[in-house]
Amino acid sequence: MKKLTITALALASTMMTTPVLADGHGSKIVDEPLELTIHMHHKRYTSYDEDWPVEQTAREMTNIHLKNKTFGSNTPQSDEAINLLLASGQLPDIIGTSRIRDVVNQYGPQGAFTPLNDLIEEHAPHMKAYFDSHPDVKSAITSSDGNMYYIPYLPDGKYGRAYFIRYDWVEKLGLEIPNNVDELKTVLEAFRDGDPNGNGKKDEVPYFARQWEELIRLVTLWDGRSSGSDTYHDYYVTDGKLAHPYAGEGYREGIKNLAEWYAEGLIDAEIFTRGSSSREFLLSENMGGMTHDWFASTSGYNRLSADIEGFSFKAFAPPASISGKRIEEHRRIPFKPDGWAMGGTNEHPVETIKYFDFWFSPEGRDLVNFGVEGAQYTLVDGEPQFTQEFLDAGPVNSSLYQIGAQLHARGYFQDYEYEKQWSNEFALEGIALYDEGDYLIDQFLGVSLNADEQKVYDKYNAQLRTYMLERQQAWILGTGDVEADWADYQAQLENRGYSKVLEVMQAAYDRQYN
Amino acid sequence: MQKKLAWFLQHMRREWQIYVLLAPTIIWFILFLYKPMYGLQIAFKDYSIFRGIAGSPWVGFEHFQTLFESDTFVRALKNTVIISALSMMFGFPMPIILALMFNEILNQTYKKTAQTLVYLPHFISTVIIAGIVVTAFSPSAGIVNTIIGWFGIEPIYFLTKPEWFRPIFIGSGIWQEAGFSSIVFLAAIAGVNPSLYESAVVDGASRWQMMWKITLPSIMPTIIIMLIIRIGNILEIGFELVILLYQPATYQTADVINTFIYRQGLQGGQYDVAAAAGLFNAVVAFVLVMTANTISRRVSRTSLW
Amino acid sequence: MSGVVLDKIVKRYGAAQVVHGIDLQIEPQEFVVLVGPSGCGKSTTLRMIAGLEEISDGNLTIADRHVNNVAPKDRDVAMVFQNYALYPHLNVAENIAFGLRIRKVKKPEIAKSVSEVAEILGLTDYLDRRPADLSGGQRQRVAMGRAIVRHPEVFLFDEPLSNLDAKLRTQMRAEIKRLHKRLGVTSIYVTHDQVEAMTLADRIVVMRDGRIEQIGRPMDLFNNPVNTFVAGFIGSPPMNQLTAVVEGGDDAPFATLGETKVKLPKLPQLQGQAGRKVVVGIRPEHALITPVDGASAIPLDLDLVETLGSEALLHTHVGDTPFVIKTETHGDIDHLYDVDKVYINAEKIKVFDAETGDVFAHPTQG
Repeated sequence: MKKLTITALALASTMMTTPVLADGHGSKIVDEPLELTIHMHHKRYTSYDEDWPVEQTAREMTNIHLKNKTFGSNTPQSDEAINLLLASGQLPDIIGTSRIRDVVNQYGPQGAFTPLNDLIEEHAPHMKAYFDSHPDVKSAITSSDGNMYYIPYLPDGKYGRAYFIRYDWVEKLGLEIPNNVDELKTVLEAFRDGDPNGNGKKDEVPYFARQWEELIRLVTLWDGRSSGSDTYHDYYVTDGKLAHPYAGEGYREGIKNLAEWYAEGLIDAEIFTRGSSSREFLLSENMGGMTHDWFASTSGYNRLSADIEGFSFKAFAPPASISGKRIEEHRRIPFKPDGWAMGGTNEHPVETIKYFDFWFSPEGRDLVNFGVEGAQYTLVDGEPQFTQEFLDAGPVNSSLYQIGAQLHARGYFQDYEYEKQWSNEFALEGIALYDEGDYLIDQFLGVSLNADEQKVYDKYNAQLRTYMLERQQAWILGTGDVEADWADYQAQLENRGYSKVLEVMQAAYDRQYN
Repeated sequence: MQKKLAWFLQHMRREWQIYVLLAPTIIWFILFLYKPMYGLQIAFKDYSIFRGIAGSPWVGFEHFQTLFESDTFVRALKNTVIISALSMMFGFPMPIILALMFNEILNQTYKKTAQTLVYLPHFISTVIIAGIVVTAFSPSAGIVNTIIGWFGIEPIYFLTKPEWFRPIFIGSGIWQEAGFSSIVFLAAIAGVNPSLYESAVVDGASRWQMMWKITLPSIMPTIIIMLIIRIGNILEIGFELVILLYQPATYQTADVINTFIYRQGLQGGQYDVAAAAGLFNAVVAFVLVMTANTISRRVSRTSLW
Repeated sequence: MSGVVLDKIVKRYGAAQVVHGIDLQIEPQEFVVLVGPSGCGKSTTLRMIAGLEEISDGNLTIADRHVNNVAPKDRDVAMVFQNYALYPHLNVAENIAFGLRIRKVKKPEIAKSVSEVAEILGLTDYLDRRPADLSGGQRQRVAMGRAIVRHPEVFLFDEPLSNLDAKLRTQMRAEIKRLHKRLGVTSIYVTHDQVEAMTLADRIVVMRDGRIEQIGRPMDLFNNPVNTFVAGFIGSPPMNQLTAVVEGGDDAPFATLGETKVKLPKLPQLQGQAGRKVVVGIRPEHALITPVDGASAIPLDLDLVETLGSEALLHTHVGDTPFVIKTETHGDIDHLYDVDKVYINAEKIKVFDAETGDVFAHPTQG
């Protein structure tokens, strides 16, 4: 049953994006080879490489020949590189970089980038088909002046993080996998007191996280929110109304309880400073009990079962909140702020948009997702399948970067099938579990502020967030009492411009998504 | 005027080698210090990288107003001054004390070893320093909590306690830099005329008296110059270490101007606001250095210029 | 009472011995000058007396007290350094008072002592100045003031005048001499300048290579140097030294200098020594340009006349050896250019053993 669901999902997503109309006469865009210049920068590949096999194949298929004109290849900082490029005043035909969204939204209306709406409408059938079927994404990448200035990298697959717990500990302590917040507390207390790792020491860390923000994530168990998107501390949207998660009642209740949990030792005492190695450390030392982290990488730790007897760290369904809701707040965002755009002085906009569109065509998608046919993959029953040789060669995603596939500094639509083919069985099992329950909730895809709105946002938002985080940590650490402070906290948020920020964001949201 | 110019040209012709030697410094100054000053104007503009400095519209003092209307900035300014003042109070004398102590070590091997050991932290990257500090102050495994545990004190989660941030930050700064900064004072001590000490020995001074009455006064000009320079950098706090060590829980004592700008900048590449804050820093530093220099020239007859 | 006795004082640095057992007895109130070329061990000896250098071997007694292991401050000595060793951050009064303050002398007493010393040294008007604002001579005076104010048993001077220009040096020399007369404190003075030694000393100690060559009153050293080294060191210009061979009978020994036979004094040591190699020493003052009875006459060519005013130096040569004559000008030097002979009285000639450099002393001197 589970397997069937996944296959059905994959099938559906493929069918949905299979273009209805295609030229059918090969994918050559121009008869004579045409050269276009490109700036491509990402921390993993700081310049465009004409020798990437994927690029060579694309050149043959489209007759478009990209020439590298990347600025700042000596720095891994893409924002630095794009600033250098902008300051130079000479934009190439194509600009592909991570975090391009803010750049195009700010400088597109100033003329630095070419608006893409009409071009897509007239010359890019595959992209048009995608945007027609994903109006929310189209709205999200629309700038404040109503134009689209970039084609995003569109990740496929919905699931990001999940709740993970030591199944073997739960079993050993004679408990059940927790179904709600009260049961969860019981289990964590048992982890703390029951010496599940059996070393005679009370060294178990019931709940830990690589990012302390994942502690705040637990406020969802009290119907609070911690973020509206895949970035921490982001605004969220319900019924078309924006709000900040750290201003809500559920958040207050959640923080109050988490502060108790922290004081009682159910939470890693060092959660704020242990940092990114905490998962590796606490799991391999047989001390960590539960976390909220990415499916794929966290499932990978089950390899520890070779060293730790019975080790089983698997995903479990989100426990029901106090009102009985089970939600998984984190999910993969359907589009990323990374991608590529067309320079404002591009003399071949039609050819360029057709070239962009090529990567959304079935051949282009196979190429960008799986690499070159015959080299990295073969067609099995008409579907691309990585060769076993390639799968065995090492980490699949970095191997793909090296040949020019799956580059996030390019606008393309990912095919989840690519990731599934090398995913850990525990991850797939977990994803199936989450699929079953349909725990995901709607995402806030961001707003494009116009210049005036941006000013208000810039003026207030950073310090607003600073204040929220300060209070938040103080409450968790017990140096403040959320119940006693709440009225004052609300007043302070107001003083610091909360409703002003909300107002401009709501205006932008209404403009963008209605 | 004509005459002066003619004299200058003649002088240049005659002494051209000297001017050639001078040229690299002047060029360096122009390229790296004077030319960038042109960019300062973005503090008064609504700056767009794409439009360029000249193409961006003027906004007057808007960015400064934004800064000072922000409670967070004012708090950051206050924290900056407090942390600077405290680290000057505790951190500035340390290298001097170290240098005096090194000077008292007679065994050369022992002296060299001790010096190398205290110079070492200077060469460790800030990220590693932060890692060491976090580990040392960790409530579960940190050495500090282990030690205070011997005295029956419950572990303290130091890095989330606002009242502990400044001591830890300043202390780790001293640990990292005191040794290396002592080099300049050691050099000054080496320059003291040895017959001053011999004369004092014959006069019957003890080592302690010699340190107080000869060594310290003799290196006082160096100390004052270093102090003036330090005062000029009072608003410059090594913010990488702050970013690596602070937590929202400790913002109230830890957030400084540079970290404020860093967070602000991340929000939307606000170069203009950052430039305004930077300009403010520079103006304050300039005033402080001028004041310190003038006071020092009047009081101690030592000054930078 | 406050004499200084050095008994076989030795200084070693590791294996290298730089002072080889010096014996020297300095009487109370005596002014003794240690003189010698640089590296002769005179400063080291002084620093051992001061306590700045450890004494490797031998005994040092100051005012009848054995002080080898006594700390410098307790030896009751005061030292004046070549570069004055003034504290740049203290003014003149504070510099002078430094030693007293270290010894916790009461304030009024310090003030009294300082003003007395300032009076003696003529520094009263400069008490508020810092060393940087003083001239070289004034600084030197402050340095001496620092020594005087402590009323020590012994003054030690380490080349105190060598940083001054010639005129000031002469002036300060006189001042030191005057001070010594006035205060009557035992003084040991190190210099490489034989003029200072001659003018200041009650007794001069000539040192070379860590050993004492000769001890004596200035005129003794001048008249009766014990060897060629002392002869060459004391006196300005130094004694002319010409290598020669003893010739003639015991009654009339002579030596051939250049091509001229010069009579030598009839010293018992030269008896039967014909053919022995000696060094003939003639002081420039004893080479006369006017004929004297019984004196040998040496013809010579004039190389150069150096006029000093009342005196002049005639630079000539005997054979290939330079020879200097010092003579009075009587207000006119023209006649000096006519000099073509020099007259030497045999009794004024010193004869040294060419091998050891030791003098063949006149029997009258015992």
